[in-house]
Parts: sequence; structure tokens; C-alpha cells
Amino acid sequence: MSDEALLAGMATGDADAMAGFVRRHQARVYGLALSVVGVPAVAEEVAQEAFVRAWRHAGNYDPRRAQASTWLLTITRNVAIDVVRVRRELATDPVAVAEMMTTAASDGDRVEDCDRVAAALRELPSEQATAVLLSVHFGLTAREIGERQGVPLGTAKTRIRTGLSRLRTMLEVSHGE
Amino acid sequence: MANDPNRCAELAESLAEVATGAASGPDRARVLDHLSECDDCRAELERLSRVADEVLLLAPSHEPPAGFESAVLERIAGSDDAGPEGTGPDDGSGAGSDDGHAGGEPADGTRRHWVRGLVLAAAAAVIGLAGAGIVWQTTSDERELAEGYRKTLDIADGQYFSAAPVRDASGEQVGHVFLYQGEPSWVFAVLGDAPAPGVYDVRVATDDWTGDVASCDVEAKTGGAGGTINADIYQVREVRLVAPDTPPLIATLPDRSGE
Ligand SMILES: [Zn+2]
Repeated sequence: MSDEALLAGMATGDADAMAGFVRRHQARVYGLALSVVGVPAVAEEVAQEAFVRAWRHAGNYDPRRAQASTWLLTITRNVAIDVVRVRRELATDPVAVAEMMTTAASDGDRVEDCDRVAAALRELPSEQATAVLLSVHFGLTAREIGERQGVPLGTAKTRIRTGLSRLRTMLEVSHGE
Repeated sequence: MANDPNRCAELAESLAEVATGAASGPDRARVLDHLSECDDCRAELERLSRVADEVLLLAPSHEPPAGFESAVLERIAGSDDAGPEGTGPDDGSGAGSDDGHAGGEPADGTRRHWVRGLVLAAAAAVIGLAGAGIVWQTTSDERELAEGYRKTLDIADGQYFSAAPVRDASGEQVGHVFLYQGEPSWVFAVLGDAPAPGVYDVRVATDDWTGDVASCDVEAKTGGAGGTINADIYQVREVRLVAPDTPPLIATLPDRSGE
């Protein structure tokens, strides 16, 4: 069954659709939560909360806007960021995690989409790739990224913007658009 | 609508941060303000946002501990017992500011029927959360709101859009309010020159309903906040920003109910 069909089921309160949706996406959601918050017990709470929100918002999901997986991961990221903002002590070292994500070749679990993104990210200067990941995954503001990378605010802002724009160009080319 | 290329260039970096979801509140407010009158930046934000969302796919997958799925199913049973989260003109309790969820509750009662069939108590989920000591509702509501708003902007393409200046007691313009018609509709207030720092309630009034939809945290002179309403935006007559010890800041909406 497609994600769209599962989400449509969830929007009408179908618990079986929800169970199927959870099974299909739990590894990704939990993996993202874990990479941001770093502590398994907290990551589990974050992942659960993300699915609860997906259930509540299933009726608002619009397949024209995003794939179900990216939509769900966006929700997960938002929940995870909240937790690390409130509980600073949880923070893994975001820079280390971001660098790991850029340099790691393809993981066994990764799908094709993700290899494409990983390949594009590796084309960027590493400080730009890291800045983009710190912004996207950890929700760090340009000021926070500048502090962590030891560069002025303006430089951090430029890294995020330039990195993201270049990624866009590369990904749009590989989409054949 | 007219574009100011200088303004676009000025905001390009903040635009990227709105796309990644990491922009600070005031930056986000400035960008949203500009998007309402700039098709180019709206299109650019859409493209950058898609890229940013794809970058999320990079996180390595990891199987959660055993029992994860049933824990989630217990939670949804519990959370739904708390009742639908959409509020607004019908109950007069204010929309969106309590938990900020942008609606999406099915109106047909199917889910509530299903929920009643479950034996698990809502309390279990609540205790589970409290035990972990996690606070959810700090910033993500606002971020989700802005993301929803970003999408609403794009979908509506400015078509169902209304805006008005916010003025202080002397008639000076100190900000803007923006309203978008959608499912749900949105009200967003941006202050660029508030008379005093503090927390302003964003109070929306139609002919037959008044409610607070958000609170706007003003640091120095700027801030922005918004929420959803169940009303048609063309029913909105006035938006007030209300803070203690400060005369209200008022935006009066054009009367377009006859259009
Ligand atoms: Zn522009």
C-alpha cells in the first residue's frame, strides 16, 4: 500500500493504516531522532511524538507538496530540535554528527534518493556541507553555526545559503529538470 | 505586486534559513513579510525548501527498540481523548495558541468513534511524557506554523490574501498583519517598530467572535507571531496586539465581505 493510501486511512482514524505507516517509517524516524538528540530513550520519545503528530496532521498531508517520508522527517526534526533546545545537555556534538553524515558513504539502509543527496553534499566544500546539515538537522541558527565553526555571523549565513543553492542546482540537474 | 530587488538580496540569506526551518523568529517574520509581495522569493523559498527537506533523508536509519509500534498506537489513543485541537469562532476560546496545531482533525467523527473503542487510558500517555521530562511546546509550534504558512502562501499564490497596516494610538504604522484563506486560515502579525518590548497577544475580531490566536514576543522593536482561525479571513474586521501597560496596536481590515 502506498504512503498516500496509508495517510488517507490515518486521516479517517484507521489504526491499521497507522500501524502500517509506523512499521514502514520507524527506522528512519528513530534514526533521525537519534542522530539529533543522541540518547536512545529520548530519541524514542521524540520518534513517538513525531508519529503522534503525523497521525493528527494526516488530513493536512498534501502529496503534491512533499513525499510522505520527507514530510514525516520534517515533523521529526521539529520535535527533536525542540528537545535539544530545552535540554542542552543532550546535545551530541552536532558538528561531529554533521561531518559524519557528509562523509559516510552509503549506509546499508539508505535508499537511492538519499545516495543522490549524499553525493551532492560531498561535492560541496565541507564547511558548507556541515553548515547546511547543522541548519537542516539541528535547527541551529546562523549565529550558532558561526560560533561552532568559529567564523563570523556573515560567513555562516553565506555558507548556509551558498551550500543550499548549490545543492539545489545539483539535485535539479540530477532530477532532469 | 512590485518587487524591490534590493530587498530580495538583503533577505536571501534569511530565506535560506527559513527553508531549513532554522531562522530565528524575527528573521522569519521579515521573510514572511516580504514573501507576501514577492513572487520571485516565494518561488525561490519553495525550491530551497524542497532541497532542505531532501537533506533530512541523510540521517542514518536505525531500528527503534522493541515495542515501539505499540507504544505509538497507545499514544494516539491517549492523545485523541484530549479532544480535537482546532478552536475558533465556535467556542470563542481562541485558536491555535494553546497547542498550535494547525487543525487536521477529521470532522466526521470517525476517529472519535474509533477512539472510544480503545481501552487504553489517556493518562498513560501523559504520565509517560511527564516521566521523560520532555517539554514539546516551546518552539516547534511556531516553526510548524511558519511552515504551514509558507505552504499556504505558495498554494494560495497570494490569491486569497489580505493585509493591513498595524498602527499605534497616534496612527503611526508599526507593523503589518497578514491573513491567508485556507484550510485552516491563518493570521500573522509582524511588528517592525513596536513602541515597547514585551509579549503582545494577537487578538482577532470578526463581527461575532473575538479570540487570541498567538502571542508575539517582541525583542527590541520587532517580532512576529500568528495562528490559525476557523473563520473566513474576509470576516475579520480587526486585529489588535495587546500588551499590558501599552495602548493596543490596531490593524483594521478592509471590508471585503461583499466581494
Ligand atoms: Zn523578493
